Amino acid sequence: MSDNAVAPTQDVGSADDLSDQQDEQEIRSSKSKTESGGDSEDFDPWTKSRQLAKPDDQLDLTEAELGEEFTKVLTPTNTNVIRNLVVFSFKEGEYVPAPLPGNTVTLISYPGNSLHVDSEEARLQIEESDEIGVPLPMPNYSAVEAQEPVVEGDGEGDGESDDENKSDAGDDKQGDEGETEGDDQEEEGKAADGEQEAEEGDGEAAVEDEEPADQKKAVVSQGKKRKLINQFNYCERAALTFSYPKRSVDTQTVPPPRSQFGANVLQWVIYDSYLEDFEEQQKDSTKQADRKRSMQQKKLTDKSLQAEQLNRKYLKCWQILERMINQNIFDDIAHDYRYWEDSADEFREGEGNLLPLWKFQYEKTKKMSVTDIIFNPCYYDLFAVCFGSHDFMKQANEGYLCLFTVKNPSFPDYIIQTDCGVMCCDIHPNYPFLVVVGLYDGNVAVYNLRENCREPLYMSKGVNGKHSECVWQLKWGPDMNDGEINFYSVSSDGRVFNWILMQNKLWVTTIITLYLENGLVDGPDGTKLTLKSCGCCMKFHPIDPKIFLIGTEDGFIYKCSTAFSSKYLMTYNAHNMSVYRIDFNRFNSNIFVSCGGDWRVKVWEDMRADPLFIFDLGSAVGDVKWAPYSSTVFAAVTTEGKVYVFDLNVNKYKAICVQAVVPKRKNKLTRLSFNEKLPFIVVGDEKGVTTSLKLSPNLRVMVKPPKKQSYLDQTTLQIAKLEKLLSLVRELPEGTIVPDTATTVRS
Amino acid sequence: MSQEVEETLKRIQSHKGVVGTIVVNNEGIPVKSTLDNTTTVQYAGLMNQLADKARSVVRDLDPSNDLTFLRVRSKKHEIMVAPDKDFILIVIQNPTD
Repeated sequence: MSDNAVAPTQDVGSADDLSDQQDEQEIRSSKSKTESGGDSEDFDPWTKSRQLAKPDDQLDLTEAELGEEFTKVLTPTNTNVIRNLVVFSFKEGEYVPAPLPGNTVTLISYPGNSLHVDSEEARLQIEESDEIGVPLPMPNYSAVEAQEPVVEGDGEGDGESDDENKSDAGDDKQGDEGETEGDDQEEEGKAADGEQEAEEGDGEAAVEDEEPADQKKAVVSQGKKRKLINQFNYCERAALTFSYPKRSVDTQTVPPPRSQFGANVLQWVIYDSYLEDFEEQQKDSTKQADRKRSMQQKKLTDKSLQAEQLNRKYLKCWQILERMINQNIFDDIAHDYRYWEDSADEFREGEGNLLPLWKFQYEKTKKMSVTDIIFNPCYYDLFAVCFGSHDFMKQANEGYLCLFTVKNPSFPDYIIQTDCGVMCCDIHPNYPFLVVVGLYDGNVAVYNLRENCREPLYMSKGVNGKHSECVWQLKWGPDMNDGEINFYSVSSDGRVFNWILMQNKLWVTTIITLYLENGLVDGPDGTKLTLKSCGCCMKFHPIDPKIFLIGTEDGFIYKCSTAFSSKYLMTYNAHNMSVYRIDFNRFNSNIFVSCGGDWRVKVWEDMRADPLFIFDLGSAVGDVKWAPYSSTVFAAVTTEGKVYVFDLNVNKYKAICVQAVVPKRKNKLTRLSFNEKLPFIVVGDEKGVTTSLKLSPNLRVMVKPPKKQSYLDQTTLQIAKLEKLLSLVRELPEGTIVPDTATTVRS
Repeated sequence: MSQEVEETLKRIQSHKGVVGTIVVNNEGIPVKSTLDNTTTVQYAGLMNQLADKARSVVRDLDPSNDLTFLRVRSKKHEIMVAPDKDFILIVIQNPTD
């Protein structure tokens, strides 16, 4: 109450001691704080404002009542106990006072299932239930039960019980219990049976122990089901095997050899290894015997083969590097070659010019004359140039065939050296590595550029197996029926040969022996001689491979067929001097052009005796060629060193371009060739120089398709253009074109 | 090397602006050179690496493709490299000469 009264409780409910104490402590601490702060005024109003809280039903007492004292006395005697209680005793035969009931009064008795930790019962229970604890002497109980009658009856079964008891005692490891039991047994032994030895007491002690054991059983049976053991004959033994002490043994093996390896795995590395694996598999699939044989053969020629292959690779690489170097050196020319277009052409109506590009020459052919130029049909940039001499008096005892490429103007890609001047050559259209050359001495030779350039693949042999005079032109023919490769040649000995490439030799047949049509002259002794005609050039019909034209030294052009040799299909009285070249139009195979030493270039139509066009170029015309891109354009070279380019569609009377390429008196142009793909020509001169010239835009005017027929392709248009031109010329009545009134073209 | 190869090499050296040629064998050792020792070794070593890297680039883009030639155009020179499996050919040219 006093605490309550003191407790400064604004909150009524919390009036217990603990909170009071806390409050007091708080107060104290705050007091000490305020004291230390030296300001007590803050605290006083706070204490005063406190009011005492008391229950509503509390009696209000006056000061006097509160001060009244009550006296209470405590006595040690229990007044409630009846002291004079008596009980009748039959023994005494009188009433005797009953003993005092004691001071204890039991108010409530309630059996619980909780045990005190220190009690014996609890201890046993713990022992029994605890697994870690020492196992209980379970057989003890059954043994006791079995022993009970023995103990109670007589001492005959002592021996047995002794043994059992001993074993029990052995099992029993509860030291404390054993001691207490031992004590009990001594007292009991004295009291109940004096004869029994001290050892037997153990058994009795066990018997004494039976009661608590029964109680324990009840407890235990709830936890575990106990195994029932044969009550009469049992034996339980336990043995502990010797436990070996643990030990750890370490051994270290010799470390395996280690090596560092590093590599990058890239996609292509994986790809390569897969390919290798694939090849291996392919190899395995073929027969092993085959492989062994081939391996042995390989080994024999391995080293030389490898060296040769390496050499080839070296050569190829160096050649390409040389091309690169040349590309750098001739960078500006290379650009002109591809991209330069003469803008001046726009202002020159109907005139064009030629831009000189590279000059191709070879050290050893400086003094020789270019006798033929031909582009490779497969590789547009590669062309063959023949070196020999047209001068009978200045025949050198060597000749060359050089294959130049515009990619390397400084040096020929392939060089073939021969014993005498090379007069002509041809490259096979289907096998662009096969080259046939015609020599001044009448021989022909076939070379395989892929294999080697030193030894010919085939060479004509013997007096009868060759032309007796200079070979002027060669032409690969279409393959024979049985696939044999063959070519034709024409020579100034007046014969046309067909050469077939047999297994190991050239097979020659005479196609035609040229004769003069009115060449029957009187021989000695009244005989008649047929005069031969000398072939100078030959051109096969582009569509009909049997038909060919032969130009002769006499100025005639004979139309012949390979099918029969006795008769000409047509004879054109073409030139006054020897015919140097005949060329068929690329778009109309009925039109061809010829040139000769009589300074003239003539355009012919098939089976028309008179030429359609005649042009006089003022000096001997060495070569004339139709352009591959236009049906009305052709070019010619003269010994004056000039190149003439005609476009009949633009100008029917004179060349649209005349350009001197080499100095007039010192040098002569001999041959010319159009590139099949790009707008440039190459011309050869007498000093062994081949010059490439780019055609300006005016020289290669294409036909513009009419508005309504824009679907027509260039070929059709070109043919139409030529046809239109021809119709203009043809309409003229025959005889109006007098050969002698040819237009003389002056530069 | 065969006579033909020797002749080509000689010709290349006579071309305009060619500063030098180097032949490197498959072990990366220069076996033939027209340049001085230090430059040769330097070129051989560096070009070997560059060619390897370039080939790696080409092959990585398309494993069935391969590098055939390499041209490095610099302010002063053009270096042309022919990187073969068995050798590397290097030509240094001054194209403006």
